[in-house]
Amino acid sequence: MLQHDQRGNPASPQAKTPTECASVFFLPSLLAKPDASKGPLSTSEAYQSVFAAAEKLQARGCCVIASKLEGATPERVCQIARPLLHDEADLVLPHYTSRKFEGLLNASIIAPMMRALYGKRINNPMGPDIGVSRQLLQKMLVKRAGNPGGTALHPLACLAPAAFCDRLRIVEVHLGTRIYPAPDWANMSSVLANVLSPVFCDLERNASCWQRTRVSAPVQAVGEPVFLAQDEGAVDTSRLVESFQLGNRELQEIWSLVLPPSSLFELRKVSRLPVDQFHMSDELWVKVVYDFALAHRLRTISRDHLLRSLTPLYLGWVASYAHDVRSAGALFPERRLNRLSLAYEAGKSYLLSRWRWPDRFNP
Amino acid sequence: MWEQVKQALMDSTTHFLTRFANLLPGLAALVVALFLSMFLAWILATMVRRILMGLHFDERLGRWGFASLAEWSPMNSPTRLVSRSIAALVMVSGFLIGVSAFDLQWTSLFVQNVFSYIPEVMAALVVLLVGNVVARFLARSVLIGAVNLNLQYARFLSIGVKWIVIVLSVAMALEHMRIAPGIVEIAFGILFGGIVLTLSLAVGLSSKELISKTLERDVKKAPSESVEDSLRHL
Repeated sequence: MLQHDQRGNPASPQAKTPTECASVFFLPSLLAKPDASKGPLSTSEAYQSVFAAAEKLQARGCCVIASKLEGATPERVCQIARPLLHDEADLVLPHYTSRKFEGLLNASIIAPMMRALYGKRINNPMGPDIGVSRQLLQKMLVKRAGNPGGTALHPLACLAPAAFCDRLRIVEVHLGTRIYPAPDWANMSSVLANVLSPVFCDLERNASCWQRTRVSAPVQAVGEPVFLAQDEGAVDTSRLVESFQLGNRELQEIWSLVLPPSSLFELRKVSRLPVDQFHMSDELWVKVVYDFALAHRLRTISRDHLLRSLTPLYLGWVASYAHDVRSAGALFPERRLNRLSLAYEAGKSYLLSRWRWPDRFNP
Repeated sequence: MWEQVKQALMDSTTHFLTRFANLLPGLAALVVALFLSMFLAWILATMVRRILMGLHFDERLGRWGFASLAEWSPMNSPTRLVSRSIAALVMVSGFLIGVSAFDLQWTSLFVQNVFSYIPEVMAALVVLLVGNVVARFLARSVLIGAVNLNLQYARFLSIGVKWIVIVLSVAMALEHMRIAPGIVEIAFGILFGGIVLTLSLAVGLSSKELISKTLERDVKKAPSESVEDSLRHL
């Protein structure tokens, strides 16, 4: 919580050194349920409780450090807090230095889609290490109170869009390398469903906002970017491609309810490619994601089924991306992901047409 | 003697004509009830058809996972199936009303039995409908889950689950309608047991090959495993 320094005085706006960030407190007791038998709080509940505590204490803002950072020091915490205190930022988001195979779900769907829809080039819209101003906190609490299905409002998925739509100030902080959790391949579909469901729900809530946005612009970045040597390991994507091919063979009846015939035809063509030549174009992937977002809104099929049936397609994209960057230099993954973001921006008119006229516009 | 025969013949003719004359109002009522019910059925069917067409019922049904219903429907249109079913229901009701107008003991009993059976039929239809919805939902869940687990026999598992639930719901519906309960019970036991046995045999017999394939694949993948493990999604 950002409230007072150690002497009990309000945090000074001129404070610049890490030591002056002593007014930043981590409150672990908030992350446990009053009744211990009910288990730990979910991510969403944990963030909500931190926000509620910040509001109760009338803090100027709050920061949450949820991930493991390589070489994490108190200075890193201050890096997030400083823009809130001195730059009057409303939302501080992290910019991690990732290896080419890290943060793929964010890189393939969340970040480029938010960039295309809301017009802000941010790298990690869902944090999880974030700083939030009092103004944004209050807006979030009001939103939550006005939302009849309060549990569906996931704080991490809502923060960035809320800041975009209310034209609040967003700052990105270079936080260095993040230690990512190892993938749980058996529960890949659950991960996709849990992460994408609140994102797509928020897309529906903010439709009037993102439909007005035309072009994207960068946000202010703070700190020095860290460069990492990329791995040069051999890429074996046969299991990913097999998953995609199996999905293409068995899930046609589900995908045909969601995707237009042209996309299904393209996917069939992709599934016939041998593993070493496997490639899914960015345009096709973008159309697939937008069509799934639309089907989520229209409730074409059960939302859980819908998001889980995206898993083979996502693994197909991962395989295609792995092929593209297998022998590339250090900067190529960034350029590759930037190309994907541009494809999302170019495909926005497709989403707009389908969103507005889902029955009439079905290429 | 001849007079007695003549009298008996006259009596029976009079009796027959009297009974027939007593039946005539009932017959007329039956014909009127049938015509009225046909007229009402036509109006209702037309209204329902137009409303459902306005709601794009056929397309929506396909989206809800009942695309196969179109195959059973006249002219491949579930809208027509619903409207014609409603028309048939109204006409059957009209027929029963007409039959009850005869004011005979057996017709009254017949109508009474038919009406007392209707709740059983409705309950059986609800059981069938719910069973169908649950079967499709579970089949889809199993299919998606099995595909995401990379199981090659995902479709087979999904169909197996679907038919187990459908067979269960059909047996429950027949039991509810009191149609040969003993036979249904035995047939259901045999069929359900057969499906489960077939599934376990199929999975058991094919798992030998599957496990060997999986092991073989894992051994082949060992050198490059580190790359796949280096993927981080969140």
